[in-house]
Amino acid sequence: MSLFTVGLSGLNAAQIGLATTGHNITNASTDGYHRQTIVQGTNLATPTGSGFIGQGTNVETIKRVYSQFLDNQLQQVQTKSSYLDSYLSQINQIDNMLADSNSGLSPALQDFFSAVGDVSSNPQAVASRQSMLSSGSALISRFQTLFSRFNDLQNGVNTQIGDSVTQINSYAQQIANLNSQIIAQTSSGNQPPNDLLDQRGNLINQLNQQVGATVVKQSDGSYNVFIGNGQPLIVGNTVYQLAAVRSPEDQQRVEVAYQYGGKTTLLGNGSLSGGSLGGLLDFRNQSLIPAQNELGRVAMALAQTFNAQHQLGQDLSGNLGQNFFSVPSPTVIPSTNNTGTGSITATLSSQAALTTDDYRILYNGTTYTVTDLSTNTSTSGLSSATLAAAIPGVTLAVGATPAAGDVFTIQPTRYAARDIALSNTITINTIAAAAPIATAAATSNTGSGTISTGTVNATPTTPDPSHPSTDLNLRQPVTITFNNPPTSFSVSGAGPGLPATVAYTAGANISFNGWTVQISGKPAAGDLFTIGPNTNGVSDNRNMLALAKLQTANTMIGGTASYQGAYSQIVSQVGNKAAETQVTSDAQSSLLTQTKNAQQSLSGVNLDEEAANLMRYQQAYQASGKMLQIASTLFNSILSIGT
Amino acid sequence: MRISTNMLFDSGVRGIQTQASDLLKIQQELSTGRRVLTPADDPIAAARALDVSQSQATTDQFTKNGQSATEALGLQDSTLSNVSTLLQSVRVLAVNAGNPGLSASDRKSLATELQSDYDQLLGMANTTDGNGQYLFSGYKGSTQAFSESSPGTVVYNGDQGQRLIQVSASRQVAVSTAGAAVFQQIPNGNGTFVTAQAMSSGTATNTGSSVISPGVVSNPAAWNNSANNKDFTIKFYVDSTVTPSVTTYDIVDNVTGQSMLTGAAAGSGPYLRTYTSGSTISLKTISPPDTNPTPFDFGAELSVSGVPASGDSFTVKASTSQDIFTTIHNLITSLNTSNYNNAAITNNNNTALSNIAAAEDRILQVRATVGASLKEVDTQTTLNGDLSLQYKTTLSNLQDVDYTKAVSDLTMKQTALQAAQKSFVNIQGLSLFNYIQ
Repeated sequence: MSLFTVGLSGLNAAQIGLATTGHNITNASTDGYHRQTIVQGTNLATPTGSGFIGQGTNVETIKRVYSQFLDNQLQQVQTKSSYLDSYLSQINQIDNMLADSNSGLSPALQDFFSAVGDVSSNPQAVASRQSMLSSGSALISRFQTLFSRFNDLQNGVNTQIGDSVTQINSYAQQIANLNSQIIAQTSSGNQPPNDLLDQRGNLINQLNQQVGATVVKQSDGSYNVFIGNGQPLIVGNTVYQLAAVRSPEDQQRVEVAYQYGGKTTLLGNGSLSGGSLGGLLDFRNQSLIPAQNELGRVAMALAQTFNAQHQLGQDLSGNLGQNFFSVPSPTVIPSTNNTGTGSITATLSSQAALTTDDYRILYNGTTYTVTDLSTNTSTSGLSSATLAAAIPGVTLAVGATPAAGDVFTIQPTRYAARDIALSNTITINTIAAAAPIATAAATSNTGSGTISTGTVNATPTTPDPSHPSTDLNLRQPVTITFNNPPTSFSVSGAGPGLPATVAYTAGANISFNGWTVQISGKPAAGDLFTIGPNTNGVSDNRNMLALAKLQTANTMIGGTASYQGAYSQIVSQVGNKAAETQVTSDAQSSLLTQTKNAQQSLSGVNLDEEAANLMRYQQAYQASGKMLQIASTLFNSILSIGT
Repeated sequence: MRISTNMLFDSGVRGIQTQASDLLKIQQELSTGRRVLTPADDPIAAARALDVSQSQATTDQFTKNGQSATEALGLQDSTLSNVSTLLQSVRVLAVNAGNPGLSASDRKSLATELQSDYDQLLGMANTTDGNGQYLFSGYKGSTQAFSESSPGTVVYNGDQGQRLIQVSASRQVAVSTAGAAVFQQIPNGNGTFVTAQAMSSGTATNTGSSVISPGVVSNPAAWNNSANNKDFTIKFYVDSTVTPSVTTYDIVDNVTGQSMLTGAAAGSGPYLRTYTSGSTISLKTISPPDTNPTPFDFGAELSVSGVPASGDSFTVKASTSQDIFTTIHNLITSLNTSNYNNAAITNNNNTALSNIAAAEDRILQVRATVGASLKEVDTQTTLNGDLSLQYKTTLSNLQDVDYTKAVSDLTMKQTALQAAQKSFVNIQGLSLFNYIQ
């Protein structure tokens, strides 16, 4: 009767083969699916005198065609690729924003200085002055537009971090559930739960698209998953939830935190890597914040330097120049975790020294530690006096002393592009095109001496209390009289410390009362030169000429870059980073393709192959069927012997 | 290698995607005409393009400034040209006035003509530009440059400021000239000293018929010697007790009151030097006849011609500034004074003529400066134009698309995309299932 048994075992095996092939065909495009094959073995043979008689076949197991190595590799490549894609899609937004030559900062900057040039050609023309005010407003609104675009990106990053964290938590929960099912099914059936394993593998893959994760396989078949620097995400069927929280040190920034035991711990910069979440965090720290700070730095430097020169001028009504722009101040953010009532204020001290970095100040109860958040370098042991100059270009002042452990974040230029504005004192009449002093050589002079038009010193010796950028005696009349012989001169008039005898050197600087002039040529004895107020000087454009020169003056980054130069740096940095990311991303995606191909080559379903398998198992089934028919015929022939 | 069906689909779709995105990029390049669509396409070119476009914008601004400068300088030049013409007519009138045959009423009518020239000149000195700003008032553009405080006394209300315009990164051009320098600070006489007949409260006092020449400086260093007080009187004495009468003269230093010839206090004559009409009078010791123990030499020479009366005198003083308005006004006053003899008129006319010549020189000087500035602005504007063109070329090289290359790329990518699509469809058509009956 073994022929029936053997035939039946063949029928069964072929049926399982057909079912498995059907499973493969129907799941050909299922994510994470590995093709399955049946592993057929021979039944235990019956030993006889004539030898072992085969007892047919059986299906030992249904095998998942799977390589741990290839799948791990795919996950690693995948997480890097998602990281780059996420970085790239973010930086492309800045790249596109800077791309349009009409919407960037440059045209607005050029228009503004072109208007300044027009005022310098026609200092008293109302139309020119109005156009300078209008293009000044346009420049400010361009700064603000760019700022709000950057801010949108910040908010977008914040939202996406939240979404990503939700996804990660959901994947983690699903993986943990699958872990328990797999443990249960493995222990009960002793056969691998192939489809559950595929599902879990696929979830691990998707988790890696969100964040780089390390998988450690346990002996019971469950996976423990760790992220970042080894923080556990899933251990057995326990899930440690992540959360997206606003940083107490900067409420504008959403950070990833780790939650366990009712405690929330922020994961610092760089503790999460890979995946789109890693890409978002790195994009924010490496590209978005530096670019936004750089834009702010341009705004701050422009306002500061333009004001400084504008204040040295004189307006149409003969008053000393006021601020043209209102200069934004550095931002100080006390941490919401601070326990003390201490305060720190920051003021701009030098636009040339300003960096684009943000800083963190920690008070330990006795001293302060300043950390540059871009370079992560710290200076510790600072007293409140030495703290003052700890940040380049910014002067810090401690108000009330903070409590120990209190933290302050200083963002010198972050919001400057939003906060820059036209000064509220600036009108058509208060544009200071003229210089406040005028020099003259007496008409009775007999020598050939000439006096320069004079400049106003930027740092006065006796600042005017009501106008601190110029000297108290700036516009007091002063007379320079040449002695006999004319190798020296005396200085007389109002103002402190005017000397009776000064040796004369042609072309040398003569500086009193906050102005500097030069006398050259050969003055004769008794020749007079006067320096006094520039009364009714409405056609004077000396200050406007000086303001126009600021456009190309290297006033920024330690005196190495103009406004335009600093802005070009953003463009070049973003462009370079975007290009670099594009190239790396292309390379990574071709690596991903190769890895996927290698994995698919082993584990993917080939429909032609399955079609062949169908035919194979169909034929096996038919053959086994035929065997049963033959066995039946044989049996009938035995039965017919009796009839 | 084993192939899975998914691989076939994926790689086919990926190929089509890649080709399509390349095609889109080329299409964008072609439609915008730019090779650098975003800074990432060429970060260095993108940043350079910004810098170059700023250079171009500033250069264009300099060109615009140059136009303003040309307008301002042109207006100044044409005004000064009118002033020159006017001064020529004043000179012709002054020469006419020197004609000894003129009657008092003729001279008065000349004075009337001169008065109208004077008024015109004052008007020209107060010319305004298109914005209503006075050309010659320095920084005080809205203050009238010159005003007449009393007849013949013109006050400059401006200052010595020069309006400058930036015409290139390194060059500022002065587009205005302070009016005082144009119309007022003109040295009188021959530029170094001025000779004149003795005047008392605006009236000539000489009674003889002598006329003094403007004189020349033969040795400027000696004239500028610090011992030179530069203020002399040449006094004449006629001794009519002898026949023919003998005329002698003395040179008196008005500061010390000493005779330069004797070194002692000046007396009333007769004097040491004998006068001959038209001969040179040197401001230096000629011994004999001089007896001055400290010889002097001030390097100046002049001459007096005609017949001086006893007690007639002439002054020799260092040049001072005299404004053109005063010069014309003095001439008018002289012409209106009816009791002058011919010599007095000639002396006054000579003074006026040399002052008018000095004023004409000054106007020419200023016009030369203005002309030089105009030329400079012109040259600079041409240069700026060249620069601007160069910047444009650089910008174009940096960011513009090479059409030939882009169009050929477009065709190539099109073919590639078609091939990818067709091969994908072909390969997808192949399946073993097609043959299972």
